[in-house]
Amino acid sequence: MEECKLVLMGFGSVGQGVAKAVAMQKEKINDKLGINIKIVAVADSSSSAINPDGLDEHLLVETKNEKGKLGEYPEFGTDISGVDVLDNVEYDVLMEQTPTNIDDGEPARTLALKAFSQGKDVVTSNKGHLALNYQELDEAAKANNVMFKFEASVGGAMPIINYARDALSGNKIISIIGVLNGTTNYILSRMTSEGSSYPDTLKESQLLGIAETNPTQDVEGIDAACKAVILSNSVLGVPATYNDVEVEGISNITSEAIKLAKENGYLIKLITEVSPKALKVSPRLVKQGSSYDISGTLNMATLKTDLADEVTTVGKGAGSLETASAMMTDLITILRTK
Amino acid sequence: MRMNLVLEIKDVPGQLVSVLSPIGDLGANLVAIIHQRDVKNEKGLIPVQITIEGERENLNALVDKFDEMGINILEKDDVILKQRVSTVLIGDVIDTDVRDTIDRINELDGVWVVGLDIKLDKEYKSSAMITIESNIGQKETAFKKVQEIAEEKDLLVINEV
Repeated sequence: MEECKLVLMGFGSVGQGVAKAVAMQKEKINDKLGINIKIVAVADSSSSAINPDGLDEHLLVETKNEKGKLGEYPEFGTDISGVDVLDNVEYDVLMEQTPTNIDDGEPARTLALKAFSQGKDVVTSNKGHLALNYQELDEAAKANNVMFKFEASVGGAMPIINYARDALSGNKIISIIGVLNGTTNYILSRMTSEGSSYPDTLKESQLLGIAETNPTQDVEGIDAACKAVILSNSVLGVPATYNDVEVEGISNITSEAIKLAKENGYLIKLITEVSPKALKVSPRLVKQGSSYDISGTLNMATLKTDLADEVTTVGKGAGSLETASAMMTDLITILRTK
Repeated sequence: MRMNLVLEIKDVPGQLVSVLSPIGDLGANLVAIIHQRDVKNEKGLIPVQITIEGERENLNALVDKFDEMGINILEKDDVILKQRVSTVLIGDVIDTDVRDTIDRINELDGVWVVGLDIKLDKEYKSSAMITIESNIGQKETAFKKVQEIAEEKDLLVINEV
């Protein structure tokens, strides 16, 4: 392979992060692997920019932020959107980062299946289709002999799926217990340090852009539950789907409970537990100073293994370039094996 | 042979001596002792670490003697014999009969509630931290019981990892 043509689906914060990361890393990738990567198509929810000779990464970001849609990209803007983009351009890898949809996993599911059927590799940061249709997607990728990579779907920049599968490949992973949602960790950390109530702290997080206007996916544990499903399937090899997860969020946590915990040497964290016995997201007590004691929007996970005992990984769980970093790692893995 | 023990003693005069006196009486030797009076655990007791030397029979007799004297042995040769875990309940903890909650946990074999801390505040729910001591291996049984009671009484339970 001398050239790798990318299609980017979804051009919000993560999609733009991927474009910036490609701009930053493409020379280095060319030096190391001798492969020239270029973005040949990018789609947002209603339009796209397509040029088989490659699009300018910075102009893509500028067009989206200044004109609102990629259809306004000079000369190469089009009204083609969604899955149709994949029929209108020659490409090698689909980088998919559309918003997570936990109702039916779309459009991510259709996009991935379409790319597989075209014999293309897929890198995704999306959780919805993985949480609902993991087995279907995994089988479709295998049947078409293509690679399906989703490191960015769990823990953002924090290495976990590839870490467990590659770096710890000599081990059997027995369980994974961790803090896999940065928003709730931020809220609980602030409630601990400030003694503030849940509603006030949520409001503050929304003002800072850490919690979304509709915070349900984060605070009710839905986001963490999707990650539990992905880890169960991909790392533990235990088939599971979203409905198998026992979920309790943080909206009922009082500042008094946090104070009680603190006085007794504990912290309250939203913990995700993945083991053959339990698939669970719930507020739990963790010891102060233990590896679970991370504050702010950080994520962490402790993997219990048969040979290496416990191994812990920590990193930034969200963010534009941080999530893009995990997707770039997946892309490079694909490039190395082709 | 040598044996390492971690015992718990009360912070009252004469306690340490009463723990040490059976050692010589039962034919064992005291090799080392670590006693820090200002380090107390959540029960208000002081953990004392001792290393003793002697024949196996003498050492085992000594352990039996400590049991007889009601002295709690937390660890034996670095093996933890008792463990302590905490859980927080949020909701109408008092109104749903907190006495009954404690009694039902205490009914389990090898499980004891050793601490209870309740905060009643301006918020509409109260919060309670329950500290439970259990024999090794009984932790999950204790957590399961707490979960069962919490579901029945509509309380949010926050168990230790």
